[in-house]
Amino acid sequence: MYKETKLNLYRSMVRIRTFENGCRKLISEGKLPARFGMYTGQEAVAAGVSAHLDKEDEIGSTHRPIGHLIAKGCSLNKLMAELCAKRTGFNKGKAGPYHTFDPESGSLGANGIVGGSVPMVAGYALAHQIKKDGGVAVSYFGEGASNQGGVQETLNLAACWELPLVFVCENSSPEVQRMLGHEIDYPQLSIERVSDRAAAYGMPGSSHDGWDVLKIFEVAGEAVRRAREGKGPTLLEFKVHQIEGNLEGRIEAEEDEKVWCPIHNLRQKLVADGTLTPEIDDKIRKEESVDVEEAITFALGSPEPEPIEAFDDVFVEGA
Amino acid sequence: MADRVITYSEAINEAHTQEMERDPNVILFGENVSSSWRGATKGLKERFGRERVRDTPITETSFIGMGVGAAIRGLRPVVELMLVDFGLVAMDQILNQMAKSHYMSGGAVKVPMVLRAAYGAGTSSGATHSESLYSIFAHMPGMKVVLPSNPYDAKGLLITAIRDDNPVVFMEHRLLSRTKGPVPEEPYTVPFGVANLVREGSDVTIVVTGKMVGLAMEAADDLKKEASVEVIDPRTIVPLDEEAILNSVGKTGRLVVVDEDYERCGFSAEVAAIVAEKGFNNLKASVCRVATPNVPLPFNPTLEKQLLPDREKIARAIRNVMA
Ligand SMILES: Cc1ncc(C[n+]2csc(CCOP(=O)(O)OP(=O)(O)O)c2C)c(N)n1
Repeated sequence: MYKETKLNLYRSMVRIRTFENGCRKLISEGKLPARFGMYTGQEAVAAGVSAHLDKEDEIGSTHRPIGHLIAKGCSLNKLMAELCAKRTGFNKGKAGPYHTFDPESGSLGANGIVGGSVPMVAGYALAHQIKKDGGVAVSYFGEGASNQGGVQETLNLAACWELPLVFVCENSSPEVQRMLGHEIDYPQLSIERVSDRAAAYGMPGSSHDGWDVLKIFEVAGEAVRRAREGKGPTLLEFKVHQIEGNLEGRIEAEEDEKVWCPIHNLRQKLVADGTLTPEIDDKIRKEESVDVEEAITFALGSPEPEPIEAFDDVFVEGA
Repeated sequence: MADRVITYSEAINEAHTQEMERDPNVILFGENVSSSWRGATKGLKERFGRERVRDTPITETSFIGMGVGAAIRGLRPVVELMLVDFGLVAMDQILNQMAKSHYMSGGAVKVPMVLRAAYGAGTSSGATHSESLYSIFAHMPGMKVVLPSNPYDAKGLLITAIRDDNPVVFMEHRLLSRTKGPVPEEPYTVPFGVANLVREGSDVTIVVTGKMVGLAMEAADDLKKEASVEVIDPRTIVPLDEEAILNSVGKTGRLVVVDEDYERCGFSAEVAAIVAEKGFNNLKASVCRVATPNVPLPFNPTLEKQLLPDREKIARAIRNVMA
């Protein structure tokens, strides 16, 4: 694996974490009028998967969208502006965190309905198949979403039609305390691994640690290649552990969470193999901080939409 | 005991508790219903056990459908939807199976089930987390649709809903959950189809439901020197107390309908149509609707506010029909 690829993975994760810490700060100051699922601790999945995607490929995301959108290469300025409900955001302040769409980077899109984006993403894959353009689509969802009828139906149809699609299930269930929508007194899954379902639908599936970005990069690479070659979909499952962020912009995880921190894990490896010197590390962090600060300045300095704009965009004008 | 004051969610919790005590066939399930931070259901699992109170996976189609089946086989399920918007995932089970099984079976089966759903805008959450949608349920024949606006009604209407042999959609405004009001400790029922005369007046009738009732009362206060406003809360939109509405308009001659749901083909249109058909001769002015325009609710708080009915818009509507 090239040095540069490793450093890009590191940078992508640092960028996501720095951006989310920036969001936390704005929320605490009352400048970002939204609550949404944070991706802190899961950065490796989006970074490792998106490293194989081109601008023409799409991803579909969830209520925990920041990492997916950023790793796909969306503009930080427009993302922050959207989260701050500004007119200069991707969707003129109408989407917020749950419904962000950025066609330019193929981030299509966040979704407020658990499991809601998965069938749509199969549609992006279908478009690639019909246009024969070699593109692929990636569908992110949680283990909770994995049970939804629409998700199960899409696994079936995608396999039947051999769509150029990669299903990426981020499973937080085994590692964290019971969360929103997760089992409290009854299990929500009767099996340990969501990927075990892949075989039943006729596609390859496998499960991996979500805090090991190099492994994610490797298995996602295979799945994306398979999809591009017209061999059909794959179901990848990554165990993830959501960890605490902070308002001070630190990207380091707390001591007791370091084992699950993908940034920490990669840094140790890259320091050991000489890829990441303190100077390069410092440079990457500084550059990402500068970009996030710029996004915040852009968002806060941007105008609100005019109230009357609420009525725009219900239909395509002039169609 | 009528003086005891509790919150809207505590009232709902108490209705569950008392009905589950009374009838072992009452069961409850939905996402996170056993969680201690969900006021309407917390403590029920500890009290009634995990057999009767179950957390479900995030699979609205299957657990709502299971409510229908369990109801057909003699249980009285209360099924909770975290937000009504999520019910759209399960349109078939709600609008086909739950609503119509009784009729389609020629009365051979019945579906004594309650679908409880939180609803409502005002939290800047965007179009999949803010809607009201009760008009969709009211549109489909076969389901009763209940919209409690205060803790007293919430308890009494939920007990009625659980005892009803028909499917009932019971809609709780998410921003009402902490509002307080007097609620008797003993079990009681509030009948369906009987409107609540919230305020008596002689110039204008406002028909209004849910959280909007409070706003209509504020607007009526604001204009009390200009107009004597009567406020009617139908409490259930199916069945609807047409008589109360028509009698009131017979007295005032003016009608404002306030509705948090989208305007087109919605509850506000229904009330306006009923009055146009059956009370036209009493009208001294055009009917005025204050509903959410036909625009998906946006995330931006200012845009959202621009669309929602509020105190000022209701006051403007009162002035309009008085002019
Ligand atoms: C259809 C639907 N049902 C319920 C919800 C409420 N909800 C939002 S996030 C969530 C939990 C999702 O769990 P999972 O898919 O595992 O994703 P995670 O939060 O673990 O990343 C729930 C129940 C929703 N947004 N949509």
